[in-house]
Amino acid sequence: MRILWLSLLLLLTFPAVSHAAGPSVIQQDPGAELWNAVRARAQEDSDPGQVRSQVKGIESTSLVNIGGEEWRHFRMGQLIPTAAKVLGFTIIAILLFRLIRGKIPIKAGRSTQKIKRFTTFQRYVHWITAILFVALGITGAVLLFGRFIIIPYLGPEIGGPLTLLMKRIHDYAGPAFAIALVVLTFTFMKGNFFKWIDFKWVFKGGGLLGGHAPAGRYNAGEKGWYWMAVLVGIVVVASGLVLDFTFILDYTDFGRTRDNITFAHWVHSISAVGIMAASLGHIYMGTIAMEGAFEVMQTGECDANWAKEHHDLWYEELVEQGVVVPVEELAPVADDASENDSGTEQVKAVS
Amino acid sequence: MARMKFYCDAERCIECNACVTACKNEHEIPVGVNRRRVVTIKDGEPGERSLSVACMHCSDAPCAAVCPVDCFEITDEGIVLHNKDTCIGCGYCFYACPFGAPQFPTDGAFSSRGKMDKCTFCAGGPEEEDMSPAEYTKYGTNRIAEGKLPICAEMCSTHALLAGDANVVADVYRDRVVNRGAAAFSQTRLQQKANFRPNPSLSGRATGGSVQQWTPDSSN
Repeated sequence: MRILWLSLLLLLTFPAVSHAAGPSVIQQDPGAELWNAVRARAQEDSDPGQVRSQVKGIESTSLVNIGGEEWRHFRMGQLIPTAAKVLGFTIIAILLFRLIRGKIPIKAGRSTQKIKRFTTFQRYVHWITAILFVALGITGAVLLFGRFIIIPYLGPEIGGPLTLLMKRIHDYAGPAFAIALVVLTFTFMKGNFFKWIDFKWVFKGGGLLGGHAPAGRYNAGEKGWYWMAVLVGIVVVASGLVLDFTFILDYTDFGRTRDNITFAHWVHSISAVGIMAASLGHIYMGTIAMEGAFEVMQTGECDANWAKEHHDLWYEELVEQGVVVPVEELAPVADDASENDSGTEQVKAVS
Repeated sequence: MARMKFYCDAERCIECNACVTACKNEHEIPVGVNRRRVVTIKDGEPGERSLSVACMHCSDAPCAAVCPVDCFEITDEGIVLHNKDTCIGCGYCFYACPFGAPQFPTDGAFSSRGKMDKCTFCAGGPEEEDMSPAEYTKYGTNRIAEGKLPICAEMCSTHALLAGDANVVADVYRDRVVNRGAAAFSQTRLQQKANFRPNPSLSGRATGGSVQQWTPDSSN
């Protein structure tokens, strides 16, 4: 009640006071123009005049960095949750595929003949790139998710230096990966161009869900992975080198600004998460998904029956060239011959 | 509990850079790292203003939000402290900071920037032991533990830079704003009185910039 009276009193006296003070004065807030200039610096088509600072550094004359908040929301609100979902769902999809399909065997069993598939140089290039890729993927994932996994469980005393080690590995493996990727691109380019037969392979689902899809030396899945590794890899490498050596931006028209660095981070993180998700599929298919696959990159040679079942057009081509003897004409191995009875073979497969 | 804040009065800052120098000297900061800097807007033009800016010790600090190792600690007094033992030198805090406060040594190879360095509000580091030699080496003097306020604000010759409890800083600044308004107001009244009769150009409004001067010649 008292407050009500007071406010009424104020309302009544206010016009009188303002009248007594003479003509009303509109005094511009002396800070308004200043703060407009501070914020307008980050906007285009505005000239705040000369902005100087005795302190020289990256954007030391910028008082308020508006882009920082956008990048914060991108990293914390979009990138980390989305990356966790994408990688998580990929792993779940691979696990489901494993449960449904199981390990894919060589149906005809192993033959006595090995076919040369990769040269030693190709294998070294592949494994150097692969080791660097896995190292970069793990260290990158630590930088992305470490705050939620490593720091709470290991504590900042161990988690901090561990993450620092991971960051250093990431920084040094990056340029090495760039070189490896360039060599890999040229080493595996032959045979990786798309052909019409690849569309047929894609329509048949690559034989992943059963059935057979014809394929040449590389199937459409391998070709797709190759081109993704090369094209997305170039994007990841280019943006990563910018993040690694930010002074590169000084020599471009863009300039070394925080907006440009965070843009490089934006490109790097999105493309890297994409290529990591795809790599999980490649790693699964190349290691434990099917019989006889890992040994190809391990030894450089594949089983003739494996080639016939998974790369039939390539196999037929080699047979026509006379490089490979057809598997039907090979003398069966003694051990295989005794078990070649269809009944025992099926029992073994079931058990 | 006090809530610590900086405030720089743009009407008072004269761009002497003494706060920058005092900060570097007090904490023995390496070359190339500046925890505080003075920015001048419209340098050499009408309306020139200078502002001293450092870490503003945000309540919702973006640096603390984006840190991959969660190495920031916000004290009860609202001071944003940074742990150099946990820091990995990724630079994310610098990208997210609105004020460009986190600093890095720039001469590292392969962007191994070393540990980030930022304004501590002269409160040292998040170390348990205050005023220890280890804390001094890493973060500089811990003036807050000594019962003092940040050196930059304490030695500001025009008292443009205010530091301390947010309520006290706000009160000081509010008084200044009120007094400035009163000064501008009384100046207008004085000009009116000096004219001996009401100036028609002043009725209704008057701004500080364009008050028309009455001259005896113009009335004749």
